Amino acid sequence: MTTPLLEVEDLRVRFHLRTGTVEAVRGVTFQLGRERLGIVGESGSGKSQTGRAILGLTPPPGEVTAKRLAFDGIDLLTASKRTLRTLRGGRISMVMQDPKYSLNPVMTIGEQIIEAYQAHAKASRGEARDKALAMLEAVKMRDPARVFSLYPHEVSGGMGQRAMIAMMLVTDPDLLIADEPTSALDVTVSMEVLRILDELVTERGMGLIFISHDLKLVSSFCDRVLVMYAGRVVEELEAKNLREAKHPYTQGLMRCLPTLANDVRPLPTLNRDPAWAQ
Amino acid sequence: MLDIQNLQVVFGTGRLRVDAVKNVSFRVEPGEAYGLVGESGSGKSTVLRAICGLAPITGGRVLVDGTEVTTPRSKAFYRTVQMVFQDPYASLHPRHTVDRTLSEPLAIHGEKDAEARILQALREVGLGPSFRFRYPHQLSGGQRQRIAIARALILRPKVLLLDEPTSALDASVQAEILNLLDDLRRKMGLTYILVSHDLAVVAHLCERLLVMRHGEAVEETTSVALRSGAASNEYTQSLIQASQGFTRHAKQAAEALAG
Repeated sequence: MTTPLLEVEDLRVRFHLRTGTVEAVRGVTFQLGRERLGIVGESGSGKSQTGRAILGLTPPPGEVTAKRLAFDGIDLLTASKRTLRTLRGGRISMVMQDPKYSLNPVMTIGEQIIEAYQAHAKASRGEARDKALAMLEAVKMRDPARVFSLYPHEVSGGMGQRAMIAMMLVTDPDLLIADEPTSALDVTVSMEVLRILDELVTERGMGLIFISHDLKLVSSFCDRVLVMYAGRVVEELEAKNLREAKHPYTQGLMRCLPTLANDVRPLPTLNRDPAWAQ
Repeated sequence: MLDIQNLQVVFGTGRLRVDAVKNVSFRVEPGEAYGLVGESGSGKSTVLRAICGLAPITGGRVLVDGTEVTTPRSKAFYRTVQMVFQDPYASLHPRHTVDRTLSEPLAIHGEKDAEARILQALREVGLGPSFRFRYPHQLSGGQRQRIAIARALILRPKVLLLDEPTSALDASVQAEILNLLDDLRRKMGLTYILVSHDLAVVAHLCERLLVMRHGEAVEETTSVALRSGAASNEYTQSLIQASQGFTRHAKQAAEALAG
């Protein structure tokens, strides 16, 4: 068997605060091949911190430890900053939640894609420009040349998010981490963005980590799902078997959503068992 | 209870003119829950804001209990109509305790017996008296939204305008707040207008709803029709489909639906 794309073993993220130490991620272990993995949990469950820790983007007071954290055989914990810089954005990319805050407001979209490309590939400006335009076309922009010269505030949320996906995929990464890529978007727009993401990931055979609070969305989009609660993975299952979830937390999360199909009143709420966090 | 006739809301003039709401009409009967659904920019929130005076009424009429509202709104209006906002992190004053937040509407309207009213309001939304002297940062998102609901209910209004009351909350907390809103409506005979982009939430809480797009009313339907998939409008259908989650072969699915 070949080495998995990403190996994570006993990942812990701690924040030492004045009021004591908060452990946001407490011993997460998983392996990722070239597949779509979903990480689901409520706010504060540590799902975003897991994604950030993989990229080494844990904010300053945070401390990351793990028995093993390796990407394609490269140990990310002991790797030099230089190696990390070539990996980040080059072979591992991340799509953030809100395009409004994660695009550079004073640079055109085209320039930003060129910048991302030239940071990792030796390419002339002309080549980079062609590549950027091709990428904008790949994310189904109606008029790539026009979008190329627009500033982020001139495009809608859905277009901004597609521009960000273009920027993240221009370097042909092996692994894409998408942290709530659609929760700032409208439902119909987010379906469109997901469809584009899905196509590109399948076409290029990338690994994808899809972080979201939306269980229904993740189960319909991913192959495998990790359910996180209080910094731990409480359940791992095949997305299509989500209905047969064993853990009471996953079952509770599934049940408490109102659906169009059946009218349950009152909605079942979640009784949190302190044992889940153990 | 509430009658909206040809409501129009326009922001800006000349080149910057934006028609946020174009000729929207609907009626809400007493004790009914009415939903406004649409994507961002559809003008659904602007309708709510126009009703309670946070956005200008450019054309048309808004009638509450058969009388047209005045601009600025009278004190009596705010005794009848109150609003709950989307983000409980932004809608509570960060440096006011729960007690002060809740006592402000009472003071404005010259209500007596503030202490008992505050304690009662806290009980109604399922929080104990121990929450009375906390600051918003000491509360979770769900608790904050409960305080926002308590603040809206403390004057005993008849109509509650709910602007995406659960979209900033986790799924399990959303269920708790929806149950609370359901209970309160039954106990106090309240009338709701609920704005949401989530069809399932609207169908759960409301009997009738209006689908909006680009400031216009697309279709008025009932949640029963929505559940049975009997929506006639194409746009409503696409919203229903999007709410079912991601499908890899959307086109085929849509064609299959069309038969």
